[in-house]
Amino acid sequence: MKPTGKYVFFSIIMLVTGFFLSYSYQITKKEAATHESNSQWKQEDGLRSDILSTQKTNRKLNGELKKIQLQIQKRENKLADQEKKSYNLVEDLKKMRKVVGSVKVKGPGIEVTLSDSSYVPDGDNPNNYIVHEEHIRSVIYEMLVSGAEAVAVNGQRISHSSYIACVGPVVSVDGNQYPAPFTITAIGDKSVLEKSLNLSVVSDLVNDGIDVRIATKDDITMDPYLSKEG
Amino acid sequence: MWLPVLALIIGLVLGFLSEIRIPVEYTNYLSIAVLAALDTLFGGIRAHMQGNFEDKVFISGFFFNILLAAGLAYLGVHLGIDLYLAAIFAFGVRLFNNIAVIRRLVISKWSKSRKNT
Repeated sequence: MKPTGKYVFFSIIMLVTGFFLSYSYQITKKEAATHESNSQWKQEDGLRSDILSTQKTNRKLNGELKKIQLQIQKRENKLADQEKKSYNLVEDLKKMRKVVGSVKVKGPGIEVTLSDSSYVPDGDNPNNYIVHEEHIRSVIYEMLVSGAEAVAVNGQRISHSSYIACVGPVVSVDGNQYPAPFTITAIGDKSVLEKSLNLSVVSDLVNDGIDVRIATKDDITMDPYLSKEG
Repeated sequence: MWLPVLALIIGLVLGFLSEIRIPVEYTNYLSIAVLAALDTLFGGIRAHMQGNFEDKVFISGFFFNILLAAGLAYLGVHLGIDLYLAAIFAFGVRLFNNIAVIRRLVISKWSKSRKNT
């Protein structure tokens, strides 16, 4: 009984000693691990400073980028201005071409037909009852004044250099002769054209003994003016 | 006879497997406890070789030394003096003394046995 109790005590002592030894060994190992983590922390610090320096350079580059973007914006604005100018020029050109008559024009407009009076009183000069070039001219002028973009007589476009002349019983438009009745078409604001014609021109024409017929049309197509003189 | 050896192995395994993390300020106590345990063990071996081994002294010395060392270290921490150094010093000196005595005894035993043959 006595030696067994002694052994038990010895065993307890050995157990405690062994536990202490291995436990302190393990603790030391763990401490080494924490030292490792210390070095890890150092590495982290280095990485952080790297990040900071990178952010600094980033900020610098950002500033440069902003500057460059500002320059680009300026240039773009300039370019847009130029484009606007050129766009306006093209638009003007289109308008001019329409007026000059070198392009095909399509759109709503008005059609005025002038025909010789069918009734000529006996003993009166029939010359007073036919359509003269000045009648056509007055109609064309009125149309142009009222904003017509394109005008044609019997399908022939009138340009800035067109001439209308009376040649005996026919009227010559740029050298092409047309008999009565004359159909004068104009493209533009229908209502404005109609109203302006009705203002005075029509009554004048009627006074001169001419049959006037005005018709508004939604779709008129005019061929371009091709001058014979090249 | 094999029980203490088995207990030592079990203690080693337990120490390796234990996942208890003690705070850093208590590692001093641990080192002192280790020193005290080793000192008592070697003292026991010396006493056994000298023939004046007493298990009561040995067992009580083991626990008393450990407790005393830990108490000294505790006091030192609270007084702001590194008293655990005194314990380490004392245990270290005793450890060396014990090992020197054991070495001398072993050598004398060995030379005696050589003389006999």
